[in-house]
Amino acid sequence: MSNDANVKFRLSNSELWGGLIGLALGGFVIWSGVRLKLGTINDPGSGYVLFYTGILICLFALTIIVSAVTEGGPTLASRWENTRWSKPLLIIACLTLFSFALDTFGFLLSAIPLMVLLLRVIDPVRWSLTIPLSIMSPLGMWWVLKHLLGIQLPSGVFEIG
Amino acid sequence: METILNVAHGFGVALLPVNLLYCFIGVFIGTLVGVLPGIGPISAMSLLLPVTLSGTPESGIIMMAGIYYGSMYGGSTTSILVNIPGEAASVVTCIDGHEMAKQGRAGPALGISAFGSFIAGTFALIALMLVAPKLASVAIAFGPAEYFSLMVLGLVVLTFLTQGSMAKALLMACIGVVLGLVGLDSITAMPRLTFGRVELIDGIGLVPVVMGLFGIAEVLLNTEQAIKRDVINTKITHLLPNKADWKASAGPVSRGTILGFFLGILPGGGAVVASFASYALEKRLSKTPERFGKGAIEGVAGPESANNAAAGGAFIPLMTLGIPPNVVMALLLGAFVIHGLQPGPLMITQNPGLFWGIVASMYIGNLMLLVLNLPMIGMWVQLLKLPYNVLFPLIILFTIIGVYCSSNNVFDVYVMIAFGVIGYFMRKLGYEPAPLVLAFVLGPMLENNLRKSLILSQGDLMTFVQRPISAACLALAVVLLVGPLLPALRKKREMVALDEGA
Repeated sequence: MSNDANVKFRLSNSELWGGLIGLALGGFVIWSGVRLKLGTINDPGSGYVLFYTGILICLFALTIIVSAVTEGGPTLASRWENTRWSKPLLIIACLTLFSFALDTFGFLLSAIPLMVLLLRVIDPVRWSLTIPLSIMSPLGMWWVLKHLLGIQLPSGVFEIG
Repeated sequence: METILNVAHGFGVALLPVNLLYCFIGVFIGTLVGVLPGIGPISAMSLLLPVTLSGTPESGIIMMAGIYYGSMYGGSTTSILVNIPGEAASVVTCIDGHEMAKQGRAGPALGISAFGSFIAGTFALIALMLVAPKLASVAIAFGPAEYFSLMVLGLVVLTFLTQGSMAKALLMACIGVVLGLVGLDSITAMPRLTFGRVELIDGIGLVPVVMGLFGIAEVLLNTEQAIKRDVINTKITHLLPNKADWKASAGPVSRGTILGFFLGILPGGGAVVASFASYALEKRLSKTPERFGKGAIEGVAGPESANNAAAGGAFIPLMTLGIPPNVVMALLLGAFVIHGLQPGPLMITQNPGLFWGIVASMYIGNLMLLVLNLPMIGMWVQLLKLPYNVLFPLIILFTIIGVYCSSNNVFDVYVMIAFGVIGYFMRKLGYEPAPLVLAFVLGPMLENNLRKSLILSQGDLMTFVQRPISAACLALAVVLLVGPLLPALRKKREMVALDEGA
């Protein structure tokens, strides 16, 4: 990490952001707990544990924020320094596309393109291996699940699979 | 006499051909995931959790247990030959194991690791057999207050042992509790945090959460770096350690076994902590500590025995109290629940075939592992050469299918992908997922026992401190929470804090 990777009260401080997200989450949990009714200590309601857990989340998040402000913390950019950050980003994009396609197009029509993308995105595998592997692995798994284990994978609007 | 009869009954169950097959599949997959860096027993067990539905409860749980202790054997192979830990409990084996391999002593390193694991595994089973029924009879007297305090202690110990900031680990545990409470309230049947989604009425599934946080997130993290592997290419010979090796290893194996077993029982502890503690102990006791790090066989024998003994010991809280002491046992609890079984003090008496069958299968599994890990070592070495750019897409495909099969629901695939992305960013920002997962499993039990205690005591909070076991657990939890504020204890925590991932 570079020398300016450790910053205190700056918006680029990753610890600060982590704490702020925790604080927002804690606030939401407290609000949900109150909405669900706390009940009494003799007869705790559905929101009782949520409410107090929310308070604990806020407390721990505040501890993280205070520590981020007083002691500083690594910048967001330094967390991804010297990494191939584009690779996980591409995989996340592939998985998001897949999740949209799965219900509509079914398992086979969405898993085969997913495999092609993943095999070419991570560390490109040669096409002569990518094509057969992308087709055979989802097809093989679909066959085993459907014919041997009796599990039906989503077949989508085209009812393939 | 009764124990012998029970063991015989257990072997009757474990030796059924179908259970032998499941045991073999379990230890084989365990060794496989142990050998392959990037996939751990947690990912493999969550992937195979749905498969347990296809057979009897005995078969499914025998297989799941096999994956856990099998991975402890397999992990050492990668540590010794490649200098990359196959799974978290084998991190410390890299230090001296790989040095031994570089000096042409890969055979004895692998050999002592397998034999040490076998001895420790067998000891842990005998102890489990003797301790579990006794503890179960005591645990019958536990009320909701004791259960609540025990679970609090388990979560605090895990957060104490988690790498990095304790505030972050505690934050993760609290978020885990909240996630565990999603769905219908078990007492009032009121839907909580479901956002109007019918799929969330039954709560968030354990499989998509674990597969996302440990499977997908692990792949995302691994793809950030180009993984370089330096596999020892020389032929592996002399797998049987010589007389001098045995002499040097006898003490570390014995000490590692006992230490590992007790650390395994502790809530929040486990194989990772045990292996590090054993290494530290051996280095401290050695007359020549300078040899450690340069290929000392004691540095392999101790930790490898300790992590296997801990794997056996971890079954005790689950089987006798119904409380999983770590994430792996939480998954095993999931397997029990899938089959409508509740592990706890009554399980040994009400379902002896299941308990003793699992124990007996672990003896058989340990023998299978010895055969799998010594004569077949060449096969695992070949497997280490499998390219990651092919392996990672296949893991992603397996996780998607595994999650879908666990519930026949596309929504769970979305949940898994979401948790995968969240898990990746969490890890990048230094938030470990292990406390979240354990709290996610314990959350509903924790809430249930807290509310029951308060109703029974008519709102008197003193009930938690008036009962001795509950008071002791809470006192220990407070010490661990306050401890890191003291500089001396903080330093000690940093020394033992570990990455429980993968």
